[in-house]
Amino acid sequence: MEARRFSDEEIRPLSVKRDQIEGGFEPWDWDIIEKGSKLGFRTLAVPKEWGGQGADFVSQAVVMAELARGDSAMSKAFSQNWKWSHLIAAACTEDQKERFLKPFLADHRYVMGRGITEPNSGSDNRLPPEDDPKAGFRLRAERKGDEWILNGEKCFIANGSVGSLFFVDARTNPDVNIKQGGTLFMVPKTTPGFRIGKVFNKRGWRFYQNAELIFEDARVPHANVVGTVGGASATGKGDNTGGDLFGDLELAANALGVCDDAVDLAMQFSRSHKRAGKYLFEHQLIQLKLAEMHALTEALRSYVMRVAWIHDRREPSANAGLVMIYSTDVIQRVTALNMEIHGAEGCLMNARVDKLVRDAMVWTHLAGDNVQRMRTLRKLAGKPVPVVSGD
Amino acid sequence: MYDLHLTPEQLEFRDTVRDFVENEIKPVALHPDRLQPFEKPLLTELVDKASQMGLRTFALSEDAGGAGADDLTSCIVLEELAAGEVDIATVLGHTSFLGHVLFDQLLSAEQRARFLPKFAEDDRYHLAFAGREPNAGAGWSYHRALAEGGAELSAKRQTEGNWVINGSLPFVANAPIAKLLVVQARSDPKKTGANGMSMLLVPSDAKGLTIGNPPKATGEAVRWHQGTGASVTFKDCRVPGDHLVGKEGQSPLADGTLLARSVTQMAAINLGLGRAAYDAAVDYAKIRRQGGRNIIEHQAIGSKLADCAIKLELARNMIWKAAWAADHPDAVSDRSLPELPLHTMARVYTARAVNEVTLLSAECFGAMGVMRDMPLQKYVHDGRNTCTTDSYSRTRMRLTMPPNSQSRRRSRATSGRLLPNGLTGDERW
Repeated sequence: MEARRFSDEEIRPLSVKRDQIEGGFEPWDWDIIEKGSKLGFRTLAVPKEWGGQGADFVSQAVVMAELARGDSAMSKAFSQNWKWSHLIAAACTEDQKERFLKPFLADHRYVMGRGITEPNSGSDNRLPPEDDPKAGFRLRAERKGDEWILNGEKCFIANGSVGSLFFVDARTNPDVNIKQGGTLFMVPKTTPGFRIGKVFNKRGWRFYQNAELIFEDARVPHANVVGTVGGASATGKGDNTGGDLFGDLELAANALGVCDDAVDLAMQFSRSHKRAGKYLFEHQLIQLKLAEMHALTEALRSYVMRVAWIHDRREPSANAGLVMIYSTDVIQRVTALNMEIHGAEGCLMNARVDKLVRDAMVWTHLAGDNVQRMRTLRKLAGKPVPVVSGD
Repeated sequence: MYDLHLTPEQLEFRDTVRDFVENEIKPVALHPDRLQPFEKPLLTELVDKASQMGLRTFALSEDAGGAGADDLTSCIVLEELAAGEVDIATVLGHTSFLGHVLFDQLLSAEQRARFLPKFAEDDRYHLAFAGREPNAGAGWSYHRALAEGGAELSAKRQTEGNWVINGSLPFVANAPIAKLLVVQARSDPKKTGANGMSMLLVPSDAKGLTIGNPPKATGEAVRWHQGTGASVTFKDCRVPGDHLVGKEGQSPLADGTLLARSVTQMAAINLGLGRAAYDAAVDYAKIRRQGGRNIIEHQAIGSKLADCAIKLELARNMIWKAAWAADHPDAVSDRSLPELPLHTMARVYTARAVNEVTLLSAECFGAMGVMRDMPLQKYVHDGRNTCTTDSYSRTRMRLTMPPNSQSRRRSRATSGRLLPNGLTGDERW
């Protein structure tokens, strides 16, 4: 309920204004992050023994949806930290937790991100082609004594321009595929040779900052390797119900908040605006759309909560991937129906209605694109049979 | 005979406009500096350049100084222009269409002699239609008595013969650049609907006429239209008696038949938009390499692009058929074509198809599809725009409505079949 209040009173009033800032990304709205952080939304997923809230997955899903009802991108800016909190808890050494989790907990402005995508490797990272072992991220890491020297570039990286710590996937062995030749490093923003490139100007999620990360002989201590060298993909998943799977639940829960918002907007509008002497709500054309919006949103809610509950029971399943895919279809449809119900009034469109459609578009490449769909299917089908070469 | 051969003139038209779009429009319209900001003011320099090429007057008859393009040719020209920039196509299409209707069909010889030379000579002479579309809201009144509503202008004839216009309209397409407004106002307040409306010519510098600023792309409510437009307000705006077009109380545009032809042309503009998105996606899919091969070689991408191609080709078929039917009215009377509102079918189908095409095309770009320095996100925005206008639902509903239902208290028992002529022009461009 604290999340709902914060969402209604603090996030929502900023939402459209922040969305419409032209190009400008500086300064970031640290105010809202600090306010939310003080209420515990930045550190919600950190275990209690480390001083976080230690919220279970069901609570996390509820909070994400509530925050997203106010602003999808702001919700994501908070929950992005949970994703890496899960990873730290699952995969980091005590020394790493000491060095990184403590400052994260202490500083309301400490946010995190992960760098996987590169200009020439997007889908290849998530679904590495079996017949092309060189595909996937190419950011190179070479060992030099106690340090690794990183060279290369990441793009579209979440919290890129504002993060204090990044988890970066790099190639420690370029001759084998990324599953064997990839290693995950923790890179603080103060790392020598590491800098932020351009910040991307997006159609949706405009509060959320995606940026280029540039590595020019960046020196990362060996002690910052997460898990084992050459074990990036295994490490990245963390435990099988947290880490990686949280990301899938995260997008679905966030979509749920957006759908809730769209449903509210459509209901309010159709009850307060008349066409041909009758409220829109009384027209069959509108009733059918509203009914569909409600049905899809409630179905998504049920599925999100079921997946969160499964996660809390630590039951591995493909449901996190499935709910993420489903949320992509639902958020597209529900935000579009909301726009159809609002229609253009003369030559104008309600800015928030347009914003929801723009935010929803982010899902089409992030959550429910072809690769995610095929990847989820692989989970359902079980591990792929290894192809043994005849020669 | 329905003949899909284009004439040499039509092919030349298409190639000329296509070259202009590639060489002149796209470098400006798709430049990141243009794509990134919310505000995208009309590219007036390009509109002027297009005017100089004759694209402001392509539908005007050759006698009158235009290119005499028929409906099909107009659709071909507008598709090409819109593949470059939707707003430029919309503005030019609007002026060209209204110019043809006015100067080739409606004005008296005397009026034509007075207004045509200026229109034909001045590259910046644009036209706007300021009047409530008579069937606005008809879809919402589906098979019920038409509810009156919406803004309407009033015109009164004074004893000395002058007309005095009052009232305001929230949005008139082309108003910010028009030099002449075609005004449709109620001259007989006792009548309703299409009856009792008169048509008057009002120069944009007439005293008492105020044209507002174009809507903003940011704020609580954002700009949601193609082309350009603004509110217009008439306050005791006087025009001479001989500015009346047609007869008093019988505006020739009132029943919407003449304006209906513009509906197909709007669909052609949408089609151009969809084609631009699809072409971009095909080009990208051929060079983007993921999954060990260029992405066009993956089933998932190939099937998306195939769907796009099918939708666009079906839309083009419908648009060309509707335009050809308008160019050959005898095809209906000799029972070659069904008496159906083909133009509205083309518009509704195209709007939906293009919306889908822009989304599918953007998906082929992955994250690049949502980046503001890339054109895909703009195509998606423009595609949404055309299929979520208020008029879209209403227009569709009119397919199964009786003709001229707005003037009848009770509709006849006609539900269950598609009704001819029950459709008029869309409310706006």
